[in-house]
Amino acid sequence: MAETHSLQDLRQAAVASKVFVQRDYSSGTICKFQTKFPAELESRIEKQQFEETVQTLNNLYAEAEKLGGRSYLEGCLACLTAYTIFLCMETHYEKVLKKIAKYIQEQNEKIYAPLGLLLTDPIERGLRVVEIIIFEDRSIGSR
Amino acid sequence: TPSSLSVGGALGDPSPFRPSRYVPVSAATAFLVGATTLFLCFTCPWLSEQFSSSIPLYNVVIFLFTLANFCMATFMDPGIFPRAEEDEDKEDDFRAPLYKTVEVRGIQVRMKWCSTCRFYRPPRCSHCSMCDNCVEEFDHHCPWVNNCIGRRNYRYFFLFLLSLTIHIMNVFGFSLLYIIHHTKQLDQVHSAVTMAVMCVAGLFFVPVAGLTGFHVVLVARGRTTNEQVTGKFRGGVNPFTQGCLKNIAHMLCSSQAPRYLGRLRKPHSVQVQPPFLRPPLSEAQLAAKVLDNGIQQSKSSLEIMESQSTDADPPPPPKPEHRYPGLPHTQNEECSLLTVAPPTPSLYKYRPAYSSPGKKHTASTHSSKMSRGNSMTESPSVPVTTGKPSYRSDPSLSSRGGAGCRGGGEGGRAGSGGLGGASAFGGRSYPSFTDTLLQSAAASCSSSLRSAHTAHNALGPLISEGTTSTSYKSLANQTRNGSLSYESLLTPSESPEFESHSLSTAPGAPPILGYTSPFLSAQQREGSLQACPAPLRPSPNRAFLRPTSSPPSRAPPLSPRARSLGSPPPGPAPGHTSLGKSLSYGGGAELQHRPSSSGGGTPMPKFTYISLFFPPPTISSTIKQNVANHNTHSHKPSGGVKKVTGVGGTTYEISV
Repeated sequence: MAETHSLQDLRQAAVASKVFVQRDYSSGTICKFQTKFPAELESRIEKQQFEETVQTLNNLYAEAEKLGGRSYLEGCLACLTAYTIFLCMETHYEKVLKKIAKYIQEQNEKIYAPLGLLLTDPIERGLRVVEIIIFEDRSIGSR
Repeated sequence: TPSSLSVGGALGDPSPFRPSRYVPVSAATAFLVGATTLFLCFTCPWLSEQFSSSIPLYNVVIFLFTLANFCMATFMDPGIFPRAEEDEDKEDDFRAPLYKTVEVRGIQVRMKWCSTCRFYRPPRCSHCSMCDNCVEEFDHHCPWVNNCIGRRNYRYFFLFLLSLTIHIMNVFGFSLLYIIHHTKQLDQVHSAVTMAVMCVAGLFFVPVAGLTGFHVVLVARGRTTNEQVTGKFRGGVNPFTQGCLKNIAHMLCSSQAPRYLGRLRKPHSVQVQPPFLRPPLSEAQLAAKVLDNGIQQSKSSLEIMESQSTDADPPPPPKPEHRYPGLPHTQNEECSLLTVAPPTPSLYKYRPAYSSPGKKHTASTHSSKMSRGNSMTESPSVPVTTGKPSYRSDPSLSSRGGAGCRGGGEGGRAGSGGLGGASAFGGRSYPSFTDTLLQSAAASCSSSLRSAHTAHNALGPLISEGTTSTSYKSLANQTRNGSLSYESLLTPSESPEFESHSLSTAPGAPPILGYTSPFLSAQQREGSLQACPAPLRPSPNRAFLRPTSSPPSRAPPLSPRARSLGSPPPGPAPGHTSLGKSLSYGGGAELQHRPSSSGGGTPMPKFTYISLFFPPPTISSTIKQNVANHNTHSHKPSGGVKKVTGVGGTTYEISV
């Protein structure tokens, strides 16, 4: 019995449910997620924190899709090298995606995991949704 | 089936190897490489001697640029969305509508549920029936590169066209120069070859230049081929355009969009363990909690509905007798750019739910639009959850079973049918056989009407369900993108099932010969055509083609979102019969019209027929493939059909 109990403690918490934060298309097809606070998270995280996270993500995606000198140069270079440059160089978007992955990892470690939540990188779902996994809170009992 | 849920996305059922799809791309490659090589070997030496060696150099550079863009357009992932996973889909209640409306820059745009990929297609996304994938910013499927053109590779496709036009002009021009200087030596091999190359160049110049011009206009207007050809923004405003210059800049200079498929999925390295921190509750939340205890389910469902339906019209509050949850908010549905139809009640995503035939019929009279689900059935239990949290088993589902009119949301993934009178327990729907014979003629008709899409071609389990199998099978059939595919158009001519369709009009006909919809999805046709007896393969695709004879049919209305049935006939037998008739008529009409479609001009009632760029020499024999290659169908409301002759031999027949 005691053993089972400690084993349960060691195991990762069980998934209770998942929330999906949808894309915000109000500004067109640019990658942007809705900052509206989902109801399921009401008792798990502060609205402010959630909104901040999503807003930061939106800003990062905006940076990735920005039509700047950077992306223009990249395009020119690609053209000139008959696109072989893509074999060795990482595109601007990919660089930002790495940044985003890091940011999500950080957020998970610092903020979300202690709250029993987990953010999943939306790139895994084609940048359509941000998946937030809500873990079962066994220690306190159901809310 | 596991294959369609693969995380890498895009696998679906393994498509049979179709060598015919490689013919155009092989021909294009052969012509491009062959003609250029001949030009470089036979014409260029003289040119470099006579004028300058920069001429061949210039031609080689242009040629390599053309080739590079051609390769990129051919081999690059156009922006395929991976299939959504189960957990994402569960969130959408089976009653969820076939369409979700989103506001893009002040303009209502509809997002349609993709039954294959299991998500609402983002704006500008479309499902390619050739590739069986949803592609971001879908332009068209190009047979010349044997690939979809979408967000990621549109730039290369455009540059390919541009550079190819220039290349053709170069080759033609310099070959002409050669010929002009060799008019007395035309019997030489070199001259003969040069003339041949000139002919090829001249021949391809017109369609290529035409297509290039077409795309220049598209880019300037910020439209995709799909949008142009389906007339989405005709007379309306395009919310996706940012002005000519910005559109061009965006197309050429934006950073290469990432691919979604084939990415390494890093597992979460973070340990999530209780005890968890909790945010401090606000007063309001505390109060809510207190009230909440007794009616946990419904409250949370209401909250969920509020929070998750920001991009859709809010569903009406759940009521026990609420039959048509979608009706109140369907008024907004049609404010979209698709100047398609006056507002019609939206139908629902079909989860293999069941409705009793009576209710279904009543429902059908109210809904002439596509239904994603057979969710006309009301649920006696309170939570009409559009957004149940996933992973939570829905007790209401089981309790609904008692009402004897709902199919299971959870259980019916395989596409159980929408035959009337099902009793649903624990999320599974079980057809009620007693109802079958009575209702099958009408019910199967309507049920198959509504079920155009299912995620899986799960004919197996369906067949085993006996008399209800026809309607189930109809649900199992998928339409790729909710619209008709050319291949499926051809099916009627090939399969007896089309004939059997007319049998379905006879009441009391064996249910197995119940409604068979005219269209099989490509895979259905290919995979199951030989395997199953024709009558057992209704195609829900047809369903949405001919929704009704009495209510004005809109092809859309019938396009069930995948497992749902479109608008069922207005009344049991008579409606059903007329529906059946109209369906067979419709199918037949298409049948007859099919061969002439390449030349274009045959009006197809309530049907949008678009053929893009048939390779000129191969019209009759390869019409099937060519047509199949370019399916851009959208269902339009009934009305006239407008034939639009495009560039390079394109013919668009658009029903307006």
